[in-house]
Amino acid sequence: MLQVKAGQVEKMGLLFERYHRPLLAFFYHANGNATASEDLVQTVFYRMLKYRHTFTGEGEFRTWMYHLARNVLADAAKKDKPAAHHQDVADWAEKLAGGAPADAGLLKTQEVAQLHRALGQLSPDQREVLVLSRFQELKYEQIAELLNTTVGAVKVRAHRALGQLKDIYLKMENGSKVH
Amino acid sequence: MEAKFIKCEDVRVGLMDWLANELPADEARALEAHLAGCPDCRREQAAVWQLWQAMGNLPVPEPSEQMRPQFYSMLAGFQAAEQRRQRWSAEVLLAKLRSWWQPAYAYSLVLLVVGLAAGYGLKGRQELPAMAAQPTGPAASDNELPGRQAQLLTLLADPSAVQRLRAVSYAEEIAPTNDRVVAALLSTLNQDPNVNVRLATLEVLAGLGHDPTVRQGLVRSLARQDSPLVQSALADVMVQIQEHRSVRPLRRMLEQENLNEQVKIKIEESIQTLSNDRATDNSNPQIYHETPSSPQSRLDTSVAT
Repeated sequence: MLQVKAGQVEKMGLLFERYHRPLLAFFYHANGNATASEDLVQTVFYRMLKYRHTFTGEGEFRTWMYHLARNVLADAAKKDKPAAHHQDVADWAEKLAGGAPADAGLLKTQEVAQLHRALGQLSPDQREVLVLSRFQELKYEQIAELLNTTVGAVKVRAHRALGQLKDIYLKMENGSKVH
Repeated sequence: MEAKFIKCEDVRVGLMDWLANELPADEARALEAHLAGCPDCRREQAAVWQLWQAMGNLPVPEPSEQMRPQFYSMLAGFQAAEQRRQRWSAEVLLAKLRSWWQPAYAYSLVLLVVGLAAGYGLKGRQELPAMAAQPTGPAASDNELPGRQAQLLTLLADPSAVQRLRAVSYAEEIAPTNDRVVAALLSTLNQDPNVNVRLATLEVLAGLGHDPTVRQGLVRSLARQDSPLVQSALADVMVQIQEHRSVRPLRRMLEQENLNEQVKIKIEESIQTLSNDRATDNSNPQIYHETPSSPQSRLDTSVAT
């Protein structure tokens, strides 16, 4: 990224190859919309180019990248209401039913969709911590830096988010059993 | 370190580190110790572990095929925009300036300079008659005459017929009696390639009919004219100034082959008038029906023929 900042804009291609998938996952877990997520990923890369002078090289690149990604997400959330969240989860559940490997089948397709829905019902703050930690594999320290808070606070928030997710998930399970 | 995981609440938060694989080895051992004696925390551990694994299995869509091309076209567009912005830096401007010095541009530049110079020269000349129009007293005009004459003579030699026409009318205004001006006008009458210029010159010279040099020059000019318009105008002028010496050259003109019919008639009329005039003792100019009172209308009739 420092090379990009120094004017070698074409080096951005390397960053794209390395990070477009994690970023896509980041947005997808946040809004559940694959197409919209791709647009947001492009926006992140555009902003990386545009605001490359703000990258100091002191922190880790990924922290800076997710800082931009969070802003992009916040801007997008401002634009369209969260009604669109997890719309195409059902589609994905169906696709997985056909293509999921047998040894990955600890959870049934229905359970995957249910968990995804549960994730969508978390508050954005809670979901974000889980997504950054679980899916983006950021260390709590990096998340703390990103969210401008302490490592302890991040861990507590992650713990509570996970507990909340469990509750929502179990509630859904009970609900579906009633039906 | 055991003290760290005495409270269950601490253990629950510590589990997050454990899940993320961020728990240092010694803390991990302390956690295990607590879990061994706390069934609640063991249940919690199992639950979050299951959930954590389940989350790991959550599907993430594959990037669509358009994603990569879209990124690279965005990157290319950004680079292009960036270059456009850089184009305005001083260094690039200099390089551009250098590229402007190609032969084609240099040629255009030379043409532009030549055009400007020519335009400036023409402007200077056009101011000349305006200067002449300014009222000047006799004393002042005496002082200014030499300079003006020089300008006039230069102007009479101008390649542009319009400029020479201006010079002729200018000559009528400033110094018609000056020898050099008369000589220049006579020369113009005989040699100017443009018929209109010759006609205008003739008009001016006709006004100087009292000058013997002019009269002689006009008579001599008869044999030199080949344009029917100038020939008939000259014939008219001969009658106007009562120049009897012109009868012989006029007769000689009649002998010319391929003489214009109209001109022939005009010359014959002029000869007749001049002869009659002599017969009636040169006393009554009103009998000359072909002799208009003003040079202007005389020229008009001659052009009409």
